[in-house]
Amino acid sequence: MAEKNHTGVDRRKFLTVAAASSAAAVAATNTPQEAKALPAAGRIAPPSAAEMEAEIGEPRLLPTAVTTAGPNARPGSDFMVDVLRALDIDYVATNPASSCRGLHESINNYAMNKKPELLTATHEEIATAMAHGYAKVSNRPMGLLFHGTVGIQHATMAFYNAWADRAPMLIMSGNHLDAAHRPPGVPTTHAAQDPLALIRDFTKWDDQPQSLQACAEALFRAHKITMTPPYGPVAVSLDAHLQEGFTESNLKIPKMTRVSAPSADMDSLKDVARMLVNAQSPVIVVDRGARSHRFQPLLVALAELLGAPVVDQLGRQNFPSRHPLNATDRARGVIGDADVILGLELADFWGIVNSYSDVAQPKQGRRLKDSVKLISINSRDVFMKANYQDFQRFQDVDLALAADAEASLPGLIEMVKSASTPEHKSAAEKRTAAASAAAGRSLEKLLNEDAVYGWDASPISTARLSAELWAAIKEHDWALVSRDARLSNWPHRMWNFDKHYQFIGDSGGAGQGYGLGAAVGAALAHREHKRLVVNVQGDGDMMYGPGGIWTAAHHNIPLLTVMHNNRAYHQEIMHVQRVGNWRDRGVGRASIGTTLDNPHINFAMMAKSMGVEGIGPIGDPKELGPALKRAVQIAKAGEPVLVDVLTQPR
Amino acid sequence: MKKLLSLLPVLCLTSTASVAADIKRGQDIFMKAGCYQCHGTVGQGANTGPRLAPEPLPLDSFVSFVRNAAATSMPPYSANMVSDAEMADIHAYLSSIPKPPARKDLPLLNNK
Repeated sequence: MAEKNHTGVDRRKFLTVAAASSAAAVAATNTPQEAKALPAAGRIAPPSAAEMEAEIGEPRLLPTAVTTAGPNARPGSDFMVDVLRALDIDYVATNPASSCRGLHESINNYAMNKKPELLTATHEEIATAMAHGYAKVSNRPMGLLFHGTVGIQHATMAFYNAWADRAPMLIMSGNHLDAAHRPPGVPTTHAAQDPLALIRDFTKWDDQPQSLQACAEALFRAHKITMTPPYGPVAVSLDAHLQEGFTESNLKIPKMTRVSAPSADMDSLKDVARMLVNAQSPVIVVDRGARSHRFQPLLVALAELLGAPVVDQLGRQNFPSRHPLNATDRARGVIGDADVILGLELADFWGIVNSYSDVAQPKQGRRLKDSVKLISINSRDVFMKANYQDFQRFQDVDLALAADAEASLPGLIEMVKSASTPEHKSAAEKRTAAASAAAGRSLEKLLNEDAVYGWDASPISTARLSAELWAAIKEHDWALVSRDARLSNWPHRMWNFDKHYQFIGDSGGAGQGYGLGAAVGAALAHREHKRLVVNVQGDGDMMYGPGGIWTAAHHNIPLLTVMHNNRAYHQEIMHVQRVGNWRDRGVGRASIGTTLDNPHINFAMMAKSMGVEGIGPIGDPKELGPALKRAVQIAKAGEPVLVDVLTQPR
Repeated sequence: MKKLLSLLPVLCLTSTASVAADIKRGQDIFMKAGCYQCHGTVGQGANTGPRLAPEPLPLDSFVSFVRNAAATSMPPYSANMVSDAEMADIHAYLSSIPKPPARKDLPLLNNK
């Protein structure tokens, strides 16, 4: 208020003097009336009484509908809540922000914090990761509510992860666009002309509506776009004056319609089917195929019809880990032997069919037979943007279907059935038998020759950790909500993943700080099903956003977090080592800037500090089984729990 | 265990090094040279590097591979970084690691 008086008084004094001088100058030659009727060429007409009042009088609110409560008017943000309810948004994750206070208050006191319910996050990046994990389990978007400038800036990397991983979410941010009416100071510092420009390169769509009706339409359009494959984040800036103003008359909430996913045309699917059934060694490679529970049974049906080995890139839980046609552990061999490769929703087709050696003089090479035919079904071909390169290297293919794989598989399966002769079916059966035998040999080798080494080592081997964890959870209805590549993929090699919800892939954009938030969001989506949710959490990733522990405790989200505490950013150690070797300067200082020791971080104590039971740290493998058993009991009782395990690097 | 290892120097005779290889010293170098980052602290292997222990390649082949690893994704280690004598120590360490238990004796790996 002091600042307002300061600037206002100075400006008024200046205008008063200026207006008086101008009027006096004009009065010397003309009356004010004459001057207004006939302004002299090159002279400025004096202000009218109304204009003078507007300039030097007390500030007045403009008489607009949004700031004046009519007889039946309601707060504008109450209407926004009605829109979110019509969109079936159950949760809105937030880190509180003054530019969102209108909608925040409406969720609290109009919605009574039910549908949507606010989830409190200690950082916008954590909130966004929560929405990311939630969406991959529930196949629904979570709402996010952030400051338009600093909140969006905080969350930016997490949006990029979601964009690259094709996760839907509805971002809402506050703003004070109208400079004449926004509060001075911080709200003006946080205001922007185009607050969502910062994230436009990695969101599917954004808008900044200027009326409540436009808000409703923008939110509905945003919902439609985020849930149309390829999924991706969308953002709407909800201006504070609309939130804090009042409803206009005749506001209408649009009709909610289900959007169908883009499916491949039948002629193209017929061509794909013909190529596949006539192949001698067809192979299916899949990455972000499964959007819902429908995908996995469809892929099983297709693979079995063809007798085609399936290589799962594990962007989602696409194919049962113990299915005899699962050839993920033998990927290089089956891809090298293939004569037709069908790629489904591949993030990086080039990287699958080519090799790249990260050596001083990088080497590239093709992994395929010369005669191989490549087919791609990928919704990313429907929609992409130019700046960020998550679309990877260009891979030329023989058939490219710009379509959603999950939506296209039913048609493809029918086409394959139609095109298959008894000879084709016999060949498929032989391939299935061969693949089944190879898969059995591969599993036996893994367990006999790989898992046992380092069994009693301390730090604990990732194979031992995975075996102990599997023993602790397998009798329950479980889900793993974290990456497993950094456990040398032991969970997918050892455990029986046969349900679509048991795995949700990785971050997509490889931005650190995803893990815990995504796990909390995924666990929230699993909560209504009372599943035992497991998050194997990297220590480096954890330290970006440990506040997720508190959010899990605050909102009573059951989650078993097992720390993969290898006390370093090991990927980065290996990179620094690699360059040191290339330059023949040694690796002795590779730990500088890459390790998380001295002092060690005690994650069990960290969990306890935020109201979560913390167990460990555990370095003796013999203590691991009992600790996990106890932790499972806590999680099954509905509480978050953390077990800190000192582990091998990978 | 560390004390036991330090008491077990072994004699390695090779064409590149003829030294009394020291297991404990080999373990230290294995850690300091960052071998464990990809291969695990007891050479058990991971998706970042193959298993090395307890039966590493014969020392000559072992040294040759490490020196000329450019053909693989492994960064090569010159003699400036790890000397032939140190390579022999590492080899001794890897060779000293006990064989793991058999899978049949590990219920966790037999209970699907």
